[in-house]
Amino acid sequence: MLIMAYSLSIFLMITLPLALAAGLRRVSRPVWLLFSVGSLTFILSQAVHLPLNDWLADIGFLPKSSVDELPLWRTAVTLGLTAGLCEELARAAGYALIKKLKPIWMRWQDSLMLGLGHGGIESMIFGGVLTAAGFSSLLSMREIDPNTLGLNTEQLAALKLQLELFTASPWNAILPLIERTLAISIHVVFSLLVWRAFARGKLSRDWYYIPLAVLYHAAVDAAVVWTAETSSANYVLMMLIFTSTLLPGWAWALWLLRKERVLRAAIKRERERQVGDSSIWAELSVFWAASIKELRQLWRTKRLLVMGAVFLIFGMGSPVIAKFTPLAFRSIEGMEMFAEMIPEPTAGDAMGQYIKNLAQFGFILAVLMAMGVVVGEKERGVAAMIISKPMPRWAFVSSKLAAQGVMYLTGFILAGTGAYYYTLFLFEPLALGDYALLNGLLYLWLMVFVALSVLGSTLAGSTVSAGGIGLGLAVALLLAGALPRYGALLPGGLMGWANQLGQRAAGVAASLPGSASASAEVMANGGAAASALVIILMSLVLAIGVFEQQEL
Amino acid sequence: MSEAMNAAQPGVPAEFSEFGPESAAIYCQNLSKHYGEIQALEALTLSVPYGSVFGFLGRNGAGKTTTMRLLAGLALPTAGRAWVAGMETTSARRQARLRFGYLPQEPAFYNWMSACEYLEYVGQIQGLNKAKRASQIDRLLALSGLQDAARRRIGGFSGGMLQRMGIAQALMGDPPVLLLDEPTSSLDPAGRYEVLDMISQLRGKTTVFLSSHILTDIERVCDTVAILHKGRLVLVSGKDELLEQHPVNAVELEFEPIYGSSDQEMLARFSSALQEKAWVASVKRENARLRVMVQDVSRGKRELLPLVMAHDLSLNRYEWVRPSLEDIFLQLSA
Repeated sequence: MLIMAYSLSIFLMITLPLALAAGLRRVSRPVWLLFSVGSLTFILSQAVHLPLNDWLADIGFLPKSSVDELPLWRTAVTLGLTAGLCEELARAAGYALIKKLKPIWMRWQDSLMLGLGHGGIESMIFGGVLTAAGFSSLLSMREIDPNTLGLNTEQLAALKLQLELFTASPWNAILPLIERTLAISIHVVFSLLVWRAFARGKLSRDWYYIPLAVLYHAAVDAAVVWTAETSSANYVLMMLIFTSTLLPGWAWALWLLRKERVLRAAIKRERERQVGDSSIWAELSVFWAASIKELRQLWRTKRLLVMGAVFLIFGMGSPVIAKFTPLAFRSIEGMEMFAEMIPEPTAGDAMGQYIKNLAQFGFILAVLMAMGVVVGEKERGVAAMIISKPMPRWAFVSSKLAAQGVMYLTGFILAGTGAYYYTLFLFEPLALGDYALLNGLLYLWLMVFVALSVLGSTLAGSTVSAGGIGLGLAVALLLAGALPRYGALLPGGLMGWANQLGQRAAGVAASLPGSASASAEVMANGGAAASALVIILMSLVLAIGVFEQQEL
Repeated sequence: MSEAMNAAQPGVPAEFSEFGPESAAIYCQNLSKHYGEIQALEALTLSVPYGSVFGFLGRNGAGKTTTMRLLAGLALPTAGRAWVAGMETTSARRQARLRFGYLPQEPAFYNWMSACEYLEYVGQIQGLNKAKRASQIDRLLALSGLQDAARRRIGGFSGGMLQRMGIAQALMGDPPVLLLDEPTSSLDPAGRYEVLDMISQLRGKTTVFLSSHILTDIERVCDTVAILHKGRLVLVSGKDELLEQHPVNAVELEFEPIYGSSDQEMLARFSSALQEKAWVASVKRENARLRVMVQDVSRGKRELLPLVMAHDLSLNRYEWVRPSLEDIFLQLSA
């Protein structure tokens, strides 16, 4: 129940911003690309904000290890100001760029979309990914005695408090979701504030909205820091104080939108549209038809068959390779002397081989199979034929990712079944739960590269360049996995988790009655899983946003 | 041609520019498209009446395909707006794309699909129910003459079959307007005949907006003609009205068939001598046939036959005719 509640909360923190953006788009038609632009302004602001805070800590202006090192008011104000300055100035830079390159994207609905993108990616990362990382770590630690972790008394107390909070009730899972939803709403308000500075085209007169946004952002964040340190983990009180800081912003935003008489008109238009063929159900039905067509295309062009065969061969082959490679070595003339040094293969070796094979060949297949899905149709002119019909562009791109997802799911079912059967036949039975989770993680990992390749295929002007972009993005992501503080939270972290699960799945055999060894502990990496989902979704959103702007 | 001229577009009568989006099958309002410094289309304002087969003429690069892509919502206008059957197509609204069928210059299909499967897919995109899809597919396959190839892979179709398939897919869902971009340009004579015949069958049922640089095709099927030159609309008129407006100022001469090089030389000398005459606008030669556009008809009638006799040529036919659409087009787009 606890796991379900937190999983749902994490899923909502990642998907809620997109659902809100989809709703806004239906009501008032801002382009999807603005969601990505808003997200980019947040990421760029953090590229300055995080090092800036580290530097302030280094020079003693912010506490380094404990908040008690400095007066709380100073810490709260400094943290608020650095957040406000970095984020609001990045937002202002984004508006300045839009105003110059695409002035028609300076409407009120565009500012809401930018705000949703900015607050949305914050919710996905600081809400979804970090909550998932924290929750999965704490779940794993439940099995361990905290006293054995070598923590000092203060750290140990904090860990115990967190463990208590996380495990006290499944309802606690809703707290981060509420906090993130409120944060998204205030980001929309900040976005409107900065928009006002540019909206009338008179920055020299309306410039004061930018410092106003910085100060308001700083005040909200400072209040959050202050409350978090002084409320003794009274989360209801924290939420109440946080909400009260947002009230003036909400009131101003509602006043502004009412004044502009935009909301009512937009909702009325949407109601009228729902009656016609542009209702969400009509669009979903086209998405369904497009996805079925994509699957039929994969089948009729034999891609599904080839991919299924490759996955099946590597699935079945992994335990076989693990079993017979040492035997083959031993049988080579002159290698007899090393025979004793080669350990007896185990089901764990079969799992290691399985993960390695699927990761390597799956990665290559993911890039190769997906690189032409959009650009190929653009090059041949089929996309123009189809898009001139009432095919929503989001459905055109999404159906391709969906079909690829089904294809790889089929591949993993085939590979997983083959590997399970041959491991059972050549070694021992595997623990099914761990084995299924392992396959799920590998699938999620692979889908990240499929999504990046679909993005590459949308951005590129030719199939070859699509392959280059997809591969470049994938390699960049793999390299980012080596970053010291954040690397483990990227999708590469899934491989470590999958490897541990593989060993534990194989270890069950050893712990069966009659065996002395126990199954190994597994450190779950929920953060990596959540970040994989975030990258898949954000790649899709960017691909849709770019495709919407492309001429065919 | 109407005397009322649009101030912004000389040569465009009021009935082809003043009807608004609601009353015209196609309405463009100051539609412009620039690619950097290049002005592909400049402030096009045009009304296409319902029920017409509208020929959109222009040399290569005149802006015909750009106009088609803007109307189909595949390109974004630099300025201006366009409506098809009362719905704005430059606003990326899904519903607007139910109002027209579009055939690009080189139609491309999913080659692994059969004709039947492709039309079924198009019907699904348009939200037609199963029964309606089935009846429309039967009707359109019959109209396009593709019944026998209905289950064959599109990848194996000939050029003519692909174009007919293209028109069939454009007609799926019974759109009130059909946008056909150079539908015959890549076809052999037999294929052209098939496609033009299919377009002729649509007369009175669907508004057809047909772009082409093949004047004989336009002359054969269209009832209204617009000429686009370097991104600007230079003329809109009913085809017959246009031809009638132009006086009889062309003469066709047909000589004895050419058998040897001496005949060839004699005819070439005669053609050169004609071109030097001040009353001659242009001379077009095709084997033993000459088509002469004349600036001064009375002088031409007086001096032409003596010139033929002076060159010792045997004349089989001599006829004064109206200029063809091609003559008018060349004159306007020169």
